[in-house]
Amino acid sequence: MPTPSSSPKHGDAGLQPERTNLAWGRTTMSMVVAATVFLRWMPHRGWLVGPLVATAVGTALAISLTRRRRFHRAIRGIQQERMTPDIASIAAVATSAVILAALGIYTVLFLPLSP
Amino acid sequence: MTQTNRPGGGRGSLSIRILHGGEEPDPRFTLANERTFLAWIRTSLALLAGGVAVEAFMADLFNAQLRKTIAVLLLALALVIGGGSFFRWLNVERLMRHRAPLPVPLIAPLLATGGALVAAVMVVFVLVRAA
Repeated sequence: MPTPSSSPKHGDAGLQPERTNLAWGRTTMSMVVAATVFLRWMPHRGWLVGPLVATAVGTALAISLTRRRRFHRAIRGIQQERMTPDIASIAAVATSAVILAALGIYTVLFLPLSP
Repeated sequence: MTQTNRPGGGRGSLSIRILHGGEEPDPRFTLANERTFLAWIRTSLALLAGGVAVEAFMADLFNAQLRKTIAVLLLALALVIGGGSFFRWLNVERLMRHRAPLPVPLIAPLLATGGALVAAVMVVFVLVRAA
Protein backbone atom coordinates (compact mmCIF):
# COMPACT_ATOMS: atom_id res chain seq x y z
CA MET A 1 0.00 0.00 0.00
CA PRO A 2 1.30 3.44 -0.81
CA THR A 3 1.99 5.46 2.31
CA PRO A 4 2.30 9.26 2.39
CA SER A 5 5.98 9.16 3.37
CA SER A 6 7.03 6.77 0.57
CA SER A 7 4.99 8.37 -2.21
CA PRO A 8 6.38 10.88 -4.65
CA LYS A 9 5.08 14.45 -4.39
CA HIS A 10 2.57 15.97 -6.76
CA GLY A 11 1.00 19.40 -6.97
CA ASP A 12 -2.67 18.47 -7.19
CA ALA A 13 -4.70 20.09 -4.42
CA GLY A 14 -7.70 18.03 -5.56
CA LEU A 15 -5.84 14.86 -4.47
CA GLN A 16 -6.92 13.11 -7.67
CA PRO A 17 -4.24 10.35 -7.59
CA GLU A 18 -5.34 9.41 -4.05
CA ARG A 19 -9.03 9.46 -4.87
CA THR A 20 -8.46 7.37 -7.98
CA ASN A 21 -6.37 4.93 -5.97
CA LEU A 22 -9.20 4.63 -3.42
CA ALA A 23 -11.74 4.09 -6.22
CA TRP A 24 -9.63 1.16 -7.44
CA GLY A 25 -9.53 -0.13 -3.85
CA ARG A 26 -13.33 0.01 -3.54
CA THR A 27 -13.64 -1.80 -6.86
CA THR A 28 -11.30 -4.53 -5.57
CA MET A 29 -13.51 -4.94 -2.51
CA SER A 30 -16.65 -5.09 -4.67
CA MET A 31 -15.02 -7.91 -6.66
CA VAL A 32 -14.28 -9.79 -3.44
CA VAL A 33 -17.89 -9.29 -2.26
CA ALA A 34 -19.14 -10.60 -5.62
CA ALA A 35 -16.87 -13.64 -5.23
CA THR A 36 -18.24 -14.40 -1.75
CA VAL A 37 -21.83 -14.06 -3.00
CA PHE A 38 -21.01 -16.55 -5.79
CA LEU A 39 -19.75 -18.94 -3.12
CA ARG A 40 -23.34 -19.00 -1.84
CA TRP A 41 -24.28 -20.78 -5.07
CA MET A 42 -21.82 -23.60 -4.47
CA PRO A 43 -24.02 -25.80 -2.21
CA HIS A 44 -26.80 -25.67 -4.85
CA ARG A 45 -24.85 -25.66 -8.10
CA GLY A 46 -21.67 -27.49 -7.16
CA TRP A 47 -18.16 -26.74 -8.39
CA LEU A 48 -19.49 -25.52 -11.73
CA VAL A 49 -19.64 -22.00 -10.26
CA GLY A 50 -15.85 -22.23 -9.79
CA PRO A 51 -15.12 -20.10 -12.91
CA LEU A 52 -17.29 -17.30 -11.47
CA VAL A 53 -15.41 -17.23 -8.17
CA ALA A 54 -12.06 -17.58 -9.97
CA THR A 55 -12.81 -14.66 -12.34
CA ALA A 56 -13.85 -12.34 -9.49
CA VAL A 57 -10.95 -13.29 -7.20
CA GLY A 58 -8.47 -13.19 -10.09
CA THR A 59 -9.58 -9.69 -11.08
CA ALA A 60 -9.42 -8.48 -7.46
CA LEU A 61 -5.91 -9.91 -7.15
CA ALA A 62 -4.75 -8.41 -10.45
CA ILE A 63 -6.08 -4.96 -9.46
CA SER A 64 -4.42 -4.98 -6.05
CA LEU A 65 -1.09 -6.22 -7.45
CA THR A 66 -0.98 -3.37 -10.00
CA ARG A 67 -2.44 -0.66 -7.76
CA ARG A 68 0.85 0.85 -6.72
CA ARG A 69 2.02 1.08 -10.33
CA ARG A 70 -1.21 2.88 -11.32
CA PHE A 71 -0.93 5.25 -8.34
CA HIS A 72 2.62 6.29 -9.24
CA ARG A 73 1.63 6.60 -12.88
CA ALA A 74 -1.15 9.02 -11.90
CA ILE A 75 1.27 11.08 -9.79
CA ARG A 76 3.74 11.21 -12.71
CA GLY A 77 0.88 12.26 -14.97
CA ILE A 78 -0.01 15.17 -12.68
CA GLN A 79 3.68 16.18 -12.39
CA GLN A 80 4.21 16.14 -16.17
CA GLU A 81 0.78 17.64 -16.92
CA ARG A 82 0.16 14.86 -19.45
CA MET A 83 -1.00 11.32 -19.13
CA THR A 84 -2.23 8.54 -21.38
CA PRO A 85 -5.31 6.85 -19.98
CA ASP A 86 -4.85 3.31 -18.69
CA ILE A 87 -6.79 1.58 -21.48
CA ALA A 88 -5.52 -1.92 -20.65
CA SER A 89 -6.60 -1.86 -16.97
CA ILE A 90 -9.99 -0.37 -17.79
CA ALA A 91 -10.68 -2.79 -20.65
CA ALA A 92 -9.66 -5.71 -18.41
CA VAL A 93 -11.97 -4.71 -15.53
CA ALA A 94 -14.93 -4.07 -17.88
CA THR A 95 -14.33 -7.43 -19.61
CA SER A 96 -14.23 -9.15 -16.24
CA ALA A 97 -17.58 -7.57 -15.20
CA VAL A 98 -19.18 -8.63 -18.51
CA ILE A 99 -17.82 -12.20 -18.18
CA LEU A 100 -19.13 -12.42 -14.59
CA ALA A 101 -22.61 -11.24 -15.62
CA ALA A 102 -22.70 -13.59 -18.63
CA LEU A 103 -21.57 -16.58 -16.54
CA GLY A 104 -24.16 -15.60 -13.92
CA ILE A 105 -26.97 -15.58 -16.50
CA TYR A 106 -25.75 -18.93 -17.83
CA THR A 107 -25.75 -20.35 -14.29
CA VAL A 108 -29.31 -19.17 -13.54
CA LEU A 109 -30.73 -20.38 -16.84
CA PHE A 110 -28.82 -23.55 -17.65
CA LEU A 111 -26.95 -25.01 -14.69
CA PRO A 112 -29.03 -27.64 -12.91
CA LEU A 113 -29.81 -27.27 -9.21
CA SER A 114 -28.35 -30.12 -7.21
CA PRO A 115 -30.73 -31.62 -4.65
CA MET B 1 3.10 19.72 -29.10
CA THR B 2 5.97 17.25 -28.79
CA GLN B 3 5.11 13.58 -28.38
CA THR B 4 7.38 11.68 -26.01
CA ASN B 5 7.48 7.92 -25.73
CA ARG B 6 8.08 7.72 -22.00
CA PRO B 7 6.04 4.92 -20.45
CA GLY B 8 2.91 6.46 -18.98
CA GLY B 9 3.67 9.87 -20.46
CA GLY B 10 3.76 9.19 -24.18
CA ARG B 11 1.33 7.42 -26.42
CA GLY B 12 1.94 4.08 -28.07
CA SER B 13 0.48 3.13 -31.45
CA LEU B 14 -2.35 1.23 -29.76
CA SER B 15 -3.58 4.20 -27.75
CA ILE B 16 -3.27 6.49 -30.82
CA ARG B 17 -5.48 4.06 -32.74
CA ILE B 18 -7.99 3.63 -29.92
CA LEU B 19 -8.17 7.27 -28.83
CA HIS B 20 -8.49 8.79 -32.32
CA GLY B 21 -5.78 11.47 -31.95
CA GLY B 22 -6.51 14.93 -30.58
CA GLU B 23 -4.61 16.59 -27.72
CA GLU B 24 -3.94 15.12 -24.30
CA PRO B 25 -6.46 16.58 -21.86
CA ASP B 26 -5.56 17.70 -18.33
CA PRO B 27 -4.50 14.48 -16.50
CA ARG B 28 -7.02 15.41 -13.77
CA PHE B 29 -9.84 14.89 -16.27
CA THR B 30 -8.37 11.55 -17.33
CA LEU B 31 -8.31 10.45 -13.68
CA ALA B 32 -11.85 11.75 -13.07
CA ASN B 33 -13.10 9.77 -16.07
CA GLU B 34 -11.34 6.68 -14.71
CA ARG B 35 -13.06 7.10 -11.31
CA THR B 36 -16.44 7.54 -12.97
CA PHE B 37 -15.84 4.35 -14.94
CA LEU B 38 -14.95 2.51 -11.72
CA ALA B 39 -18.13 3.80 -10.05
CA TRP B 40 -20.18 2.35 -12.91
CA ILE B 41 -18.31 -0.97 -12.61
CA ARG B 42 -19.15 -1.09 -8.90
CA THR B 43 -22.79 -0.41 -9.80
CA SER B 44 -22.62 -3.33 -12.20
CA LEU B 45 -21.05 -5.57 -9.53
CA ALA B 46 -23.74 -4.56 -7.02
CA LEU B 47 -26.46 -5.54 -9.51
CA LEU B 48 -24.60 -8.79 -10.14
CA ALA B 49 -24.46 -9.58 -6.41
CA GLY B 50 -28.15 -8.61 -6.13
CA GLY B 51 -29.09 -11.00 -8.93
CA VAL B 52 -27.17 -13.87 -7.35
CA ALA B 53 -28.63 -13.07 -3.90
CA VAL B 54 -32.23 -13.11 -5.22
CA GLU B 55 -31.58 -16.50 -6.79
CA ALA B 56 -29.71 -17.98 -3.85
CA PHE B 57 -31.39 -16.55 -0.75
CA MET B 58 -35.08 -16.16 -1.64
CA ALA B 59 -36.02 -19.77 -2.21
CA ASP B 60 -38.64 -19.72 0.59
CA LEU B 61 -40.11 -16.38 -0.49
CA PHE B 62 -40.49 -16.47 -4.27
CA ASN B 63 -41.35 -19.33 -6.58
CA ALA B 64 -38.65 -20.65 -8.90
CA GLN B 65 -39.92 -18.94 -12.04
CA LEU B 66 -40.12 -15.47 -10.45
CA ARG B 67 -36.73 -15.87 -8.80
CA LYS B 68 -35.23 -16.82 -12.16
CA THR B 69 -36.87 -13.83 -13.88
CA ILE B 70 -35.71 -11.25 -11.33
CA ALA B 71 -32.21 -12.73 -11.17
CA VAL B 72 -31.82 -12.73 -14.95
CA LEU B 73 -33.17 -9.15 -15.16
CA LEU B 74 -30.61 -7.95 -12.60
CA LEU B 75 -27.76 -9.92 -14.18
CA ALA B 76 -28.64 -8.64 -17.67
CA LEU B 77 -28.65 -5.09 -16.31
CA ALA B 78 -25.23 -5.78 -14.73
CA LEU B 79 -23.95 -7.03 -18.10
CA VAL B 80 -25.22 -4.02 -20.06
CA ILE B 81 -23.92 -1.52 -17.49
CA GLY B 82 -20.55 -3.29 -17.14
CA GLY B 83 -20.03 -3.31 -20.92
CA GLY B 84 -21.62 0.11 -21.46
CA SER B 85 -19.37 1.73 -18.86
CA PHE B 86 -16.32 0.90 -20.96
CA PHE B 87 -17.76 2.49 -24.10
CA ARG B 88 -18.91 5.50 -22.11
CA TRP B 89 -15.38 5.87 -20.71
CA LEU B 90 -13.82 5.54 -24.18
CA ASN B 91 -16.28 8.02 -25.70
CA VAL B 92 -15.53 10.60 -22.98
CA GLU B 93 -11.74 10.11 -23.46
CA ARG B 94 -12.07 10.67 -27.21
CA LEU B 95 -14.29 13.74 -26.85
CA MET B 96 -12.03 15.30 -24.17
CA ARG B 97 -9.13 15.04 -26.65
CA HIS B 98 -11.03 17.16 -29.15
CA ARG B 99 -12.44 19.53 -26.52
CA ALA B 100 -15.92 18.50 -27.59
CA PRO B 101 -18.91 18.74 -25.22
CA LEU B 102 -19.46 15.55 -23.24
CA PRO B 103 -22.62 13.53 -23.84
CA VAL B 104 -25.18 12.68 -21.17
CA PRO B 105 -24.70 9.12 -19.94
CA LEU B 106 -27.09 6.81 -21.80
CA ILE B 107 -26.53 4.07 -19.23
CA ALA B 108 -28.01 6.27 -16.46
CA PRO B 109 -31.63 6.16 -17.76
CA LEU B 110 -31.02 2.48 -18.55
CA LEU B 111 -30.10 1.82 -14.93
CA ALA B 112 -33.09 3.82 -13.68
CA THR B 113 -35.51 2.00 -16.01
CA GLY B 114 -34.07 -1.42 -15.21
CA GLY B 115 -34.06 -0.76 -11.46
CA ALA B 116 -37.66 0.51 -11.59
CA LEU B 117 -38.71 -2.55 -13.59
CA VAL B 118 -37.23 -4.96 -11.05
CA ALA B 119 -38.79 -2.98 -8.17
CA ALA B 120 -42.19 -2.99 -9.94
CA VAL B 121 -42.06 -6.77 -10.44
CA MET B 122 -41.33 -7.24 -6.73
CA VAL B 123 -44.05 -4.77 -5.58
CA VAL B 124 -46.67 -6.51 -7.75
CA PHE B 125 -45.57 -9.86 -6.41
CA VAL B 126 -45.72 -8.73 -2.77
CA LEU B 127 -49.21 -7.22 -3.31
CA VAL B 128 -50.50 -10.35 -5.07
CA ARG B 129 -49.05 -12.53 -2.34
CA ALA B 130 -50.52 -10.45 0.47
CA ALA B 131 -54.01 -10.65 -1.05
